[in-house]
Amino acid sequence: MSTGDVTDVGRDTLVRPITSFSRRYIAALVFALGLIGVWLFFYIQQLEHGLIVTNLSDWGSGGGVPWGTYIGSFIWWVGIAHGGIILSAAVRLIGLDTYQPVARMAELLTIAALSCAGLFILIHVGRPDRLVTSVLPAWPTRVQWSPLMWDVTVITAYFVLTATYLLLTIRYDIHRLRDRLPDAFEPVYGLLMVGYSEREDQIVERMVWWIAFAIIIMAPLLLHGGVIPWLFALLPSMAGWAGGVQGPSFLSIALTSAVAGIIIIAAAFRYAYGWEELIPDQIFRGLSKWLGFFSLMFLWLQLQQVMTGIFAAPTTLQHATEVKISTPVYWVAIGLVGVALAYIFAAALKPSLFSIRAMVGLSVAVLVGTLIEKTLFVVEGLQHAHFALYDGVPGPYVPSPVELSAIVGTIGIVVLFFLAVSKVIPVVELHAIQDDHEEVDA
Amino acid sequence: MIPLAGSAGYTLPFVGPGTYLIFGIVLAPVYLMVAAWFLGDPADVKKGLLGVGYLAGLTTSLWGSLFVATMVIKFLFF
Repeated sequence: MSTGDVTDVGRDTLVRPITSFSRRYIAALVFALGLIGVWLFFYIQQLEHGLIVTNLSDWGSGGGVPWGTYIGSFIWWVGIAHGGIILSAAVRLIGLDTYQPVARMAELLTIAALSCAGLFILIHVGRPDRLVTSVLPAWPTRVQWSPLMWDVTVITAYFVLTATYLLLTIRYDIHRLRDRLPDAFEPVYGLLMVGYSEREDQIVERMVWWIAFAIIIMAPLLLHGGVIPWLFALLPSMAGWAGGVQGPSFLSIALTSAVAGIIIIAAAFRYAYGWEELIPDQIFRGLSKWLGFFSLMFLWLQLQQVMTGIFAAPTTLQHATEVKISTPVYWVAIGLVGVALAYIFAAALKPSLFSIRAMVGLSVAVLVGTLIEKTLFVVEGLQHAHFALYDGVPGPYVPSPVELSAIVGTIGIVVLFFLAVSKVIPVVELHAIQDDHEEVDA
Repeated sequence: MIPLAGSAGYTLPFVGPGTYLIFGIVLAPVYLMVAAWFLGDPADVKKGLLGVGYLAGLTTSLWGSLFVATMVIKFLFF
């Protein structure tokens, strides 16, 4: 795939988010804080009155749904977190230099999205104050048997690997851009640069290559295609959850939503800082093709589940699948992803149809679709279990305002995270504009 | 004997399946990564230790800050 050459872009352009300050930035800041404020308003009510304000306490609502939008959103954010670092790792491992200008944004998206995923676990437990004091003492024994503990372990490892990756790669950039960075953050830079010397560059590049290697094996195959789906797929009592297809299915949804997230973030920075040269159209065209490919995988794996669930399936699986395909909002989710796929296909046939604005809109649609699908997966899996223990619990499951506000709040947190980080470190790697970057091969 | 979840406890070699799964399979790429930091070429012990320090420090600060946050919630609401 050809790409626009960005090596002529100057260092001043690279640090533009750090050195510039605009009304638009303040507006974005107020917007993000407003979203977080909406969530805090509702969350304080939950802390004061308990999970009853969400209808998720005890046996939950709608025939027994103690897991709802909170857990659907947890899976969704972990999924978004995946593509980021995987894209960045791919840049290093297999030389996908085309995407170097968006690699660090993708890494930052991973850190922000993983934090939001963790937040959903915290706010979903009835007594968040007991989370750490329950999990850590129980960990040595429960990690032997509990998929929840596997999850906690691997997500911690993933977060730490991603942050280590970022902290090691940022040293090269800060050293070379120090004269353009604000003195106010000198203590931060001093901490980040402990023990730095130019002689370390080649060694650290090699270390980062190995982190990328570890991440690209662990994250897709063993985290979002492993311990996250195993939270559900290992439970034979839930017909809609059980089965090995959940691994690849979860992974396809994760990669689809992650690429959509990167498109939105990259387009936002390009628009805000006039980075047409730094993040050229070709990057968005390339990302849109990846989005199309992953969307196709997503739809294909949905087809697999529907076919095996309705043709001659065990009774409860057949029932769960019939409910799934007769739920209108499921088809909204599939339709949103399908529309994005159709547009990407059309733009591949006729390149003049492609527009970044349309891709951003469709990326939002894809994210809405994947969030709906994951929440439905959680809710319907619980509602249509093999046993009918919760059938007496009245009412359908409807996401409460408290739950919905948490989605809004976490989006605000991600926006705030990018606004804050972009004022301290370059969100585009210096390597992206250097043509003398030495590749370190394995 | 393969330690399956359905096996009786006494048939398992020492520990449950999660221990083999997480520490034997899922974290294997991390072991390889750390080994390569020290044994690969080029390598430097100080930079390798810096990397290990990041891994240990970030894990500690992640759970430490979560502990502080949950204690603040406890103080304010419970």
